[in-house]
Amino acid sequence: MAVLLLSLAFSICWASSAVAEPISWDDVLKRARGQTVDWFMWGGFPSTNAYVNGFVASRVSELYGVKLRQVPVTDIAEVISKLLVEKQAGKTTGGQADLLWINGENFRTAKRNGLLYGPFADRLPNQVLVDWSRPSVYNDFGEPVENLESPWGSAQVVMIYDSARTPTPPVSMGTLLEWVRSHPGRFTYPAPPDFTGSVFVRQVFYHVSGGAAIWQKPFDEKRFNLASEETYRTLRELAPSLWRDGKTYPENPERLSQLLADKEVDFAISYHPAEASKKILDGLYPSTVRTFVFEEGTIGNTHFVAIPFNAAHKEGAMVVADFLLSPEAQLKKADPDEWGDFPAIDVKRLDSQWRARFAELPRGAATLPDEVLQSHRLPEPPSDILIRLEKGWEDHVLKKR
Amino acid sequence: MITRDPATDSNARTRSGPGPCTLTLLLTPALGLVVVLFGGGLVLGFLQSLGHLPAAGMKAYTLQHFQNILTDPDFLKSLGLTLYISAVSTAVAGALSISAALFLIGFQGPRRLVDFIFEIPLAVPHLVIATAVVFLLAPSGMISRMLQTTGLIDGASRFPLLINDPWCIGIIVTYVWKEVPFITLMVMAVLKNTGAELLETARTLNANRWQCFRYVVLPTIFPSLGAACLIVFAYTFGAFEVPYLLGQTYPMTLPVWAYRNYSDIDLMARPEGIATGLVIAGVIIAAIVLSQALTRMARRRGAII
Repeated sequence: MAVLLLSLAFSICWASSAVAEPISWDDVLKRARGQTVDWFMWGGFPSTNAYVNGFVASRVSELYGVKLRQVPVTDIAEVISKLLVEKQAGKTTGGQADLLWINGENFRTAKRNGLLYGPFADRLPNQVLVDWSRPSVYNDFGEPVENLESPWGSAQVVMIYDSARTPTPPVSMGTLLEWVRSHPGRFTYPAPPDFTGSVFVRQVFYHVSGGAAIWQKPFDEKRFNLASEETYRTLRELAPSLWRDGKTYPENPERLSQLLADKEVDFAISYHPAEASKKILDGLYPSTVRTFVFEEGTIGNTHFVAIPFNAAHKEGAMVVADFLLSPEAQLKKADPDEWGDFPAIDVKRLDSQWRARFAELPRGAATLPDEVLQSHRLPEPPSDILIRLEKGWEDHVLKKR
Repeated sequence: MITRDPATDSNARTRSGPGPCTLTLLLTPALGLVVVLFGGGLVLGFLQSLGHLPAAGMKAYTLQHFQNILTDPDFLKSLGLTLYISAVSTAVAGALSISAALFLIGFQGPRRLVDFIFEIPLAVPHLVIATAVVFLLAPSGMISRMLQTTGLIDGASRFPLLINDPWCIGIIVTYVWKEVPFITLMVMAVLKNTGAELLETARTLNANRWQCFRYVVLPTIFPSLGAACLIVFAYTFGAFEVPYLLGQTYPMTLPVWAYRNYSDIDLMARPEGIATGLVIAGVIIAAIVLSQALTRMARRRGAII
C-alpha cells in the first residue's frame, strides 16, 4: 500500500520535462563509453533489424564503446503510453528506453506531453550534413521538430506489383480505383491506424480533394469535412470490390506483401521505395516484381529518432543518433543489399569521394530512379488531418456508420 | 463408494498443517505481492478509467468513459463475439479433453511418447501457434496448396475461409489445440488417483459404459474439469494476440478493442481502453462467481463429489 501511496504522491508533483545539460560533445563521448543503449523500434522489417543489430551495433561498439541493443515493438505508441505512465509515476530517471524510432503522430503526442529529452539534435556534429530548410525535415507531419528528434532516413510511398501478372499497372489513383472495380477481390490495403494503410487513405484523400497543396495551408474545417466525406464514400463504395469483399483487411504491410507473394492480391503498398528490390534479393518476391508511383505523386516523409525524457543513457543515445547520420552509416543503409532506405542527409553536402560512393550504389531491379521519386513526392498533411482521417475511416468505412 | 471420516480428516489437518499464525506468515509474501502489484495496478487503472491522468492534463473523475463504451453500438457486438469465442473454445476443448483423458488412462502403448506429444502444446506460446495457423489455414496456406496440387480444389478462392473469418474458426482452432492438453492433464490427475478403483467397483456392480461415465467418471472429474475450463474461459476471454492476428478487422473482440484504444494516438482514448479492460475483468469475475455457485449447488444435490 505504501508503494501505491508513494507513487500517487509522486504523480502529483512530477518533474518538468528534461532539458539537455550544456556539456561539450567530447564530454558526451566520454560519458557514452560503456553505456548500453536500448533502442525501441518497430521490428517489422527484417532488413532494418539486420542493419541495426549488425552494422550499427558493431560500429558504435568499435568507435565509441557503446553497446546497442534493439528492442523490437509492434507499435511505438505502446512505448509512448508507457512513458506517459512513467512520467505520471515520477520516474524521471533510469527509464528503460534510451532511443526511439518514432513517427509523426507519436512524435506529436510525445512532444506535447513533454515526454522527450532535448533539444539535442542541433548538438550532433553530423547535423551539418542535414538540409534543415526542407519542410519535410523541419516539420514532422506538420509538427515543428525543434531539435527534439534527429533525422535518420527518408521514405516515399510506392505501389508494388508483379509485371508478369499485371503488365500495365494503373499509374494514377483514379485509374487504380477503376482497376479495382473491374478486378474484384484483387486489391486491398492494411487497416488504418496501421501507418501504411493510413497513408493509402491519405492518397485517396488527396485524390478526391484535388491535391496535396491546399492541405499545407491553414486548416479549413469546411473544406476538410467535404473532402473527408468524399474519401469515406469512395472507400466505402470500393469495399465490395476489395479482397474478401472488404469484410476484413490485412493488419499490416507485411501481411499485404505476403498476400501479393501468395498471388491472393495483385498490389502491395510500401513506404520504402527499395523494399521490393530487397524482397526480390531475399527470394520473397519473384524477380518480375516492380514498383511505380502515381502520376500525381505519392506521399514522402523523413523518419526520425528521439530520446525519452527519462532515458538512462542519454549520452549513448546521442552518440548512436549522431553515428546514424554519418556518411558511412547512411551509405550502408542506402545499399539495397543492406536495407535500401533513402538518406536523411543531403548528399550534395558531402565531399566528392563520398558523393561518388553514393552515386555508385547499385539500384535494385524494382527500385525507381531518384529523379522519378523526387519529382513525384508529395508532402504529408498535418498530423491533425491524419488522425481525423484514421478515426473517420474506422467509423465510416470499417463500421459503415 | 468412498466415505470420509471427518474425525480423522480434521485430525490429520491439525497434526501436519501449520497454525493460524504460521499460516498468515507463510501467505504474507505471496498475498502482499498480489495485493500491491495487482491491486495497485487495478486501483491506478480504475483511476485512469475515470479520466484521471494528470500527466496528460486530465484531472476529472467521471463515469463518462464507462458510459461511452457501454452505450457504444459496437459494445454488445464485441461482447457477444468475445463470449462466443471463449464459450465455444472452452466447450470444444473440454469435450475433447474428457475423451482424451479417458483414452489415455487405459492406454497400454508407449506411454512416455504419448505424454511427451501431449506436453508440446503446453510449451508453445499462443503467438507461435497463431502464426502457424496462418501458414496452415490461410487460403494460400499449406493445406490449401496441398489440396490444389492434388487437384481436390481448383484455386485458392475455393478454399473455405478459416482465418480472419466471420465464425472465428482460426481463433477457436488455436485455442483448442493449445488448451486440450492442459485440461486433459488436470482431468487425468484426478482420474489416476481415484478413477480406476471407482470404475472397477462400478463394473463389478454391472454398470454399463454410460452409467460408468455419468455416475462415476463425471462426478469425479467435475471439480477439476470445471476449474480447468474456467481458467481456459477466463484466459480466452481476456487474451489479445490470437484474435488480433486471426480475427476480422471488425467486429473486434473486447481485448483487441481495449488495446486499440489504449495505444491510440489520442490520449483521450486511453481511459476508454482501460475501462474496457475493467469490463473484461468484471465479466471474468462474474463467470468465476457463477461457476462457483453452480458447483456448490451441484455438490449439494449430490451430483458431484
